[in-house]
Amino acid sequence: MSYLDLIHLDKAFDEAIAVRDFNLQVEQGEFVSLLGPSGCGKTTTLRMVAGFETPDTGSIFLSGKDITSMPPNRRGMGMVFQSYALFPNMTAWNNVAFGLRIARLSTSEIKTRVTELLDLVGLSDVGHKYSNELSGGQQQRVALARALANEPKVLLLDEPLSALDAVVRVSLRHEIRRIQTALGITTIYVTHDQEEALSISDRVVVMRRAVIEQIGTPEEIYVQPDTHFVATFVGTINQFPGILVDAPRGLVTNISPNWTISAQPITDGKLKNGDAVTVLIRPDEIHLSHIETVVNEENSLTAVVKSITLLGAVTRLNLDLDGHPIIVDIKTVDRGRFFLDEHVQFSFTREACSVMSDIDTVSNDI
Amino acid sequence: MAAVKKNSFIPGLVIGSFLFYMLIPILATYVFSIANRWDRSILPEGLTLEWYKVAFADPWFFIVFKHSLILSITTVFASVIIIVPTAYWVHLRNPKARPLFDLISTIPFAIPGVVLSLGLIRLYARPPLMLARTPAMLVAAYVIFTMPFMYRPVVNSLEAVNIRVLTEAAQSLGSSWLRTITQVILPNILPGILSGGLLVFAIIFGEFTIATFLVGARYKTFPMQLVYYTRRDGRIASAYSVISFTIAWVSSLIIIWVVAWGAKRTSARNSQSTKDLTTASTGDQR
Repeated sequence: MSYLDLIHLDKAFDEAIAVRDFNLQVEQGEFVSLLGPSGCGKTTTLRMVAGFETPDTGSIFLSGKDITSMPPNRRGMGMVFQSYALFPNMTAWNNVAFGLRIARLSTSEIKTRVTELLDLVGLSDVGHKYSNELSGGQQQRVALARALANEPKVLLLDEPLSALDAVVRVSLRHEIRRIQTALGITTIYVTHDQEEALSISDRVVVMRRAVIEQIGTPEEIYVQPDTHFVATFVGTINQFPGILVDAPRGLVTNISPNWTISAQPITDGKLKNGDAVTVLIRPDEIHLSHIETVVNEENSLTAVVKSITLLGAVTRLNLDLDGHPIIVDIKTVDRGRFFLDEHVQFSFTREACSVMSDIDTVSNDI
Repeated sequence: MAAVKKNSFIPGLVIGSFLFYMLIPILATYVFSIANRWDRSILPEGLTLEWYKVAFADPWFFIVFKHSLILSITTVFASVIIIVPTAYWVHLRNPKARPLFDLISTIPFAIPGVVLSLGLIRLYARPPLMLARTPAMLVAAYVIFTMPFMYRPVVNSLEAVNIRVLTEAAQSLGSSWLRTITQVILPNILPGILSGGLLVFAIIFGEFTIATFLVGARYKTFPMQLVYYTRRDGRIASAYSVISFTIAWVSSLIIIWVVAWGAKRTSARNSQSTKDLTTASTGDQR
C-alpha cells in the first residue's frame, strides 16, 4: 500500500458522472498533477481527497488509514485555491497564523513558524498587509504559506496559477516545485495547462470525461502517449488520418493528401491491416530544408510556407500540403532561412511517428 | 468654454431641483416645530420652543419612546438571528434554492401591512399560540415585514466575498464550524449585517400601520403618539417628527461610530501585534 491510495473512486452530480473508477497510488514526497480539460473530473477528484466531496463508491487511504468519510477539518491536508481564498478580514500574518492557533501552538511558536513561512515564500515584509493590498502573486504565496503552516500530510493545489499573469505564473510554478522538493511534501496539483503539468510534476495523470486516460512521468506522457487524446491534449501535434496497410513494416496510406507514411513496425497486435488510424507527429520532430537539399529520411514531401510565427526560442511555421495544414517548429535562430510562400521540403523519421487507432478520435473535445 | 459651462449648468439644475424637492418638506417640518403660528402668512410668525416643552412634558413621551426602541432593537436582533444563518446555508449548501429565497424575500413588498396584520391575527389568535396583540407577535411580524431589508444586504455581502471558498479554506486549516462562522464568515459579512440592521431599525422606529393593527393602544409606539398629536396640534406633531428624525440619525451615527471604532481597534490590535512581531523578526535577523 502506498502513502495515499485512491481506490475505485466514483462520483456523480445529479446523473452527470464527474469521476469514474479513479485509481491512483501516490508515494510519500511525490508530486502528482491531475491534467485535463475543464469538466474532466480533476477538481472533483482533488475535492474528494480534501474531504469537500464524498465519493459515491470507492475509498481513500492515507498512510493505510481509511479517510473516505472523515470531515475536511480533521484530514490535516493543506489546500491552495485558484481564487487564493485569503481571509479578507485578516492580515497576511494572521492568515498564516490561523491554522497554527487552531492547533494551539504557543504565541512564541506561532511567531517563529509564521516568520519562517513568510520567509520561505519570500514575503517576510508584507505580514502586516491585508489581502486587498497584495498583488495576485503575493496573495497566492501567502495562501501557500498558510496551507503549509500546519505541516500538512498532503498539499492540494487547485489550479493555483490560473488567475495570474504569464510571467508570475512561470516563476511561481518553479517556486512551488522548489518548496515542495525542499519540504519533501506529498503534493497533488490540478491544472488544465499541460506545460505546467509537464514542467512541475514527478507524475502526470491525464483525465478526460471523468476517466483517467494515462498515468506516467512527464516524459512518458509527452513522448509515448497511450491514447490519441493524450497525444493531442499534451502539446501541439500534427495529425494524418489514414489506413494501416502494412503493420509489420509500419506503412500507413494517408487519405488526404494521398501519400504513404513509413512509421515504426507495429507488432503488438492491437492494430491490424485495414484499420483506420491516425499518424501523429510533433512539430519539433519535423525537419525542414530547402527544396534542392537531398534528404535521407523515409518520409519527405514538399509544401508551401503559409505563415511564420515567433513564439520565443521556437518559431512556428504553418505549411500547406495540398490543403492539409502542417505545423513545424524550428529554432528561432534559423527563422531567416525560410520565407512566406516558399516551397520547402519537410521530412521526419519513422521514430517520430505515433500510430493511434481511430476508435477514440471521434470526439476531439479539447 | 461655453460648452463646459452649459454642461455644468444642466447637471447642477437637475441635482438642485432634486435636493429642493426632497429637503423642503423636512425643512418645513423643522421650521413648523419652532413656529408660533404658520398658517396665515408666508413666513412663520415668531419662533418658540414651546412645542418641544409640551412634547417632553407629556409622560407618554418616554413610554412610547422606550416601546419603539425595544421593538426596533429586538426586531434587529431577531432578524439577524433568523436571516443571517439562513442566507449563509442557502448560499453555501443549496445554491439552487437561491432564486426561491430571492422571491420569498420580495413578498413583504407585495403584501400590504394591513393584509399581513390581519392574516397574522387570524392565525395566532387561537390555541396553542395565543400570541395575538402582544409585542412579541409584533416583533415576529416586523421580522417578516423587514426581511428584504436584512436579506438583500446580507446576500450581497455573501456574494462579494466568495463565502464557499473561504469556508473550505478555513475547514482545510482544521477550523470547526463555530470557529469558521465566528472568525471568518461573520467578520466578512458584517458590513451587510450592519447596513441591514440600520435599515430595519429606522423602518421599525417609524412604523405605524402594523403596530396599530396588531397591538394598538395596548403597546403604544412613538409613531402612534405622533399621529395622536397630528389630530390635536400639528406643531407638537412636528416637534415629534423632528425628534423622531433626530433619534434615527443619532442612533445611526452611534452605530456607525461604534462599529468603526470596533473595526479600527481590531485591525489596530492585529497590525500592532503583527508589527511587533515583524519588528522582532527583522531584529532577530540583524
